[in-house]
Amino acid sequence: MASQVTVFVENRPGRISKIARILGDNGLNIRAITISDRGEYGLVNIITNDPDRAYKVLSKEGLSVSRQNVIAIIIEDHPGALSDVTEYLNRSSINVANAYGFILQSREKAVLILEVDDFEKAQQVIRGGGYHTLTKRELHNL
Amino acid sequence: MNEYWDRELETITPGGLERLQLERFNETIQRARRSKFYKKRLPDRLKSLEHVKDIPLTTKQDLRTGFPDGFLTVGLEDVIRLHSSSGTTGRATVIYHTRRDIDNWTELVARSMYMTGVRRGDVFQNMMGYGLFTGGLGLHYGSERLGALTIPASSGNSKRQIRLMRDFGTTVIHITPSYALHLYSIFEEEGLNPRQDLNLRIAFLGAEPYSNEIRKKIEELYGLDAFNSYGLSEMNGPGVAFECTEKDGMHLWEDSYFLEVIDPETGECLEDGHEGEMVLTTLMREGMPIIRYRTGDIASVYTETCACGRTHRRISRIKGRSDDMLIIKGVNIYPMQIEKVLMDMPEVGHNYLIELERVDYLDTIKVKVEVRQEIFHGKATELEGLKREVAENLKNEILITPRVVLVEPNSLPKSEGKAIRVVDKRTTGAD
Repeated sequence: MASQVTVFVENRPGRISKIARILGDNGLNIRAITISDRGEYGLVNIITNDPDRAYKVLSKEGLSVSRQNVIAIIIEDHPGALSDVTEYLNRSSINVANAYGFILQSREKAVLILEVDDFEKAQQVIRGGGYHTLTKRELHNL
Repeated sequence: MNEYWDRELETITPGGLERLQLERFNETIQRARRSKFYKKRLPDRLKSLEHVKDIPLTTKQDLRTGFPDGFLTVGLEDVIRLHSSSGTTGRATVIYHTRRDIDNWTELVARSMYMTGVRRGDVFQNMMGYGLFTGGLGLHYGSERLGALTIPASSGNSKRQIRLMRDFGTTVIHITPSYALHLYSIFEEEGLNPRQDLNLRIAFLGAEPYSNEIRKKIEELYGLDAFNSYGLSEMNGPGVAFECTEKDGMHLWEDSYFLEVIDPETGECLEDGHEGEMVLTTLMREGMPIIRYRTGDIASVYTETCACGRTHRRISRIKGRSDDMLIIKGVNIYPMQIEKVLMDMPEVGHNYLIELERVDYLDTIKVKVEVRQEIFHGKATELEGLKREVAENLKNEILITPRVVLVEPNSLPKSEGKAIRVVDKRTTGAD
């Protein structure tokens, strides 16, 4: 399964570049990055090619970091693909706490990252719908 | 305007005052010896006021230790009111008043208000909190004694305050300086100009330190005379010292309080004109006399006599505190109270900083809490919950809701020995 690291940052200049610098210096590749803004602070969610090491190096630099399993679904990169998935999740009563995506190959494949309340159930539902989720290894080899 | 509420007492000769004080001091000693605390601490009687300095000082800690009845000299059936400090951590103090105590206190407040020019026919809007805080009830009783029409508006609800002022033609207000400045912005929003649309002529600014510039600003904005005063709940509350119309120093009512100024380090008595900690003795209180009380307030006594003709010595503005007490929105708070609340929350522990700021003239408390790795699980809902919990726990202790700000780990100053965890960023109140 895939996982993301989440970093707590104060809302002031230079925080994202600090994180990017640490990851870059350690040879880690960022697949996707999003920020949920909470006013005076924000939570930076990052998908890297190696979440375990990302967690380790960011913690070592004194940042508050957490690791969390997420569902990474491969979808087609064409109009309507996202709505198909989300409608399916909706019908299956899966509550999505956060979602973001990135493109693998333009006009071919994209990855949708989902943070969900009940990871196990969501995993089953997604597989049951015939969708392919990325494993840790697949994410690493992207 | 040389008119007195009580000419005989207010213009008493120095010799007459000394005789009166000695007599009242000895009466106070007789009464105080009935309390558990003073039973063995006091001499039989003083031959002269020179010997006051030989009596041990009484501290705030003594009052806490004596809680609830260690200082009481009468049965509870003779007590008609109490005022108590806030605090849920067992640091509370209480002051008991008999009927005569309330009567004497009321008389002093009426005398003080009269001195500034308040008369029968005035409309007095009391915008201080009522309840355990002595400022509200103290001036309420004094104003009624004086014969002014008294509106117990209490604090807050700005639009209603303005409505009351306009409906009843308020001429005198009692208000904190920060609220007076804040309220002016509400007048502006309503398209009103207090100078033209109101009948105000006198303001009592109290409950928090403020500079002479702020006083002048309020006088200008509202078109009135603002008066400074001094009081503390241990000495009843308001009415200990008040400015006369000269507005130069506050006359401390020496027929009711015995004033000394000491060096806070050595405890030595200082001559008039020297800055030090004020030590006060109640000369009139029955239910709970307090002798040689360390107020913690730093001030000096004027050496010159006042043009108003009153002989009671004047004290300067309060220059600061000999301890770490903070006055926020008129509430007395010790950093220890805040620290205890935060230390009791394992999520917070030692990782916090308290900043006092003045935003739009209002005091605010900001509590910065570090989000350490151990408490961070990547969930915003959890962090918001922590913010709420810190704010609520503090509100329960200090009665003020702080703004909680989450910061990155290791961003606050590290504690080395006695860490400075309270930063007062407000401009200082004293001149």
